[in-house]
Amino acid sequence: MSREQYNPAPLSQGGNAGGSSSQQQTTGGFNITGASNTFEDTSRPVSYLCGDCDTKVLLKGGDAIRCKECGYRVLYKERTNRMIQFEAR
Amino acid sequence: MVVRRSNGDVVESFGSSREVTAPEHEITMTMNGPHQPTNPWAPLTPEQQEARKVVNVNAETVTNTAATDIPGHYGPEQDDSWNLERFRDNFRIDFHHNKPHDAAFSLVGCDASISNAFRRILLAEVPTLAIEDVFMFNNTSIIQDEVLSHRIGLIPLTGGEKGLRWLRWFRKKPPTDDFASQAAYDADGEPSTPSDYNTVVLELKVDCRWATEAEDGRDGKKLAKEGETDPNVRYVNSNVYARDFRFLPQGQQGTYFSGDDAIRPVNPDILIAKLRPGQKIHLQCHCIKGVGMDHAKFSPVATASYRLLPQITITSPILGADAKKFARCFPKGVIGLEPSDESDPDSEPKAVVKDPMKDTVSRECLRHDEFKGKVKLGRIRDHFIFSVESTGQLRSDELFLDSVRLLKAKTERFKRHLAEFEEGR
Repeated sequence: MSREQYNPAPLSQGGNAGGSSSQQQTTGGFNITGASNTFEDTSRPVSYLCGDCDTKVLLKGGDAIRCKECGYRVLYKERTNRMIQFEAR
Repeated sequence: MVVRRSNGDVVESFGSSREVTAPEHEITMTMNGPHQPTNPWAPLTPEQQEARKVVNVNAETVTNTAATDIPGHYGPEQDDSWNLERFRDNFRIDFHHNKPHDAAFSLVGCDASISNAFRRILLAEVPTLAIEDVFMFNNTSIIQDEVLSHRIGLIPLTGGEKGLRWLRWFRKKPPTDDFASQAAYDADGEPSTPSDYNTVVLELKVDCRWATEAEDGRDGKKLAKEGETDPNVRYVNSNVYARDFRFLPQGQQGTYFSGDDAIRPVNPDILIAKLRPGQKIHLQCHCIKGVGMDHAKFSPVATASYRLLPQITITSPILGADAKKFARCFPKGVIGLEPSDESDPDSEPKAVVKDPMKDTVSRECLRHDEFKGKVKLGRIRDHFIFSVESTGQLRSDELFLDSVRLLKAKTERFKRHLAEFEEGR
């Protein structure tokens, strides 16, 4: 557990790392946040990849698990859009 | 145990490699007899001074390996005490070549402990900048996050020297399962927060896609149908190289690392990963200063090593065909051939030692009967041929100076602690 710490990014916008608020204007790059944090929101569509034609399939809560292009029933989940922190060791 | 000498020979029973030439009773005679020929405690003659500098490399053994310039080793009259004046007069540094990534020089007239200290400080204690934290936003390549992180951590970085010296330590939290270092970490000082004076931010964002007519002037998919197999032609960004890292200056870093001084990989062509259309890597890195004892990626040198200067002594002339064979026992340029009679250039060739520095001391010449008793091999104990190969962050010669500065700082700290100890604090 020591090497690859799993740091879930905060839900709210704003810094999770970094110094005082006065530093944040100049050193905003130290604040690492994922692009968008859309997990735990069932009303939003989640995109999957079709196992056959590799197109993006957007599915909501009760949708049939089926590719809209080719009808293939195997869909792959995309990688998480949350940031994951590693140590370069 | 006691070292006694008569006529310059050492007679003793403890630790020395010198030959015992006189039996014990003869010594007692000379010691107690009325006609004492020489002073048994006389200081070493210049020849003996030279001889004790040589480590003998024999056919199957290596003898005289320990230094003897320790006060009292040869009795009270041989002055081996350490003296700054004498050290300054005898110590010498000769450079053989000095390139930014590879320097070779000789340290002459210092003890092995000192040169070894420099070598070890170079490997493990000179601080350098390296990637430490990796923030992975997306990685759909076939190389796993952990492996990719480890891989990019090992990329040597460089930048403006002034800026690199301006950067300070980042006090990193130790792993949560290491309680000892955690306690030490909590005991002293404030934890660091990433800031412009201790952290450098790099970004890597690469998307691989098919080459298109509009953007690249070639249609990758069409070419693939026609039989093109080269990924560089079919795709764009199929190889991720170290040069794809983008430096994101923070705060004051813009003034120190601008233009040619920007933080960048030393070798832009290091292959990090291979991608296929649709795969992407997006990550940010925090680089901090560290030392080689923590992780090899912080080591400023590829190698820092030394060897002792080889010494080849031809004790009786080696002539004719033997001389040619003798020269072949050594690497090129070590042994030269000269006419044995200086006035007659057509006389039989004679083997002479040209450049012992190039020798590897392979002892090949000791395997042949025709050279038996004609040659002696050895190494000079206080002549260290140093070789420093920088990974590219700092210049090799500058790194050696850094190691000298560090050793000096360590000795000063040691002296300060000793003084405190004496004062009873």
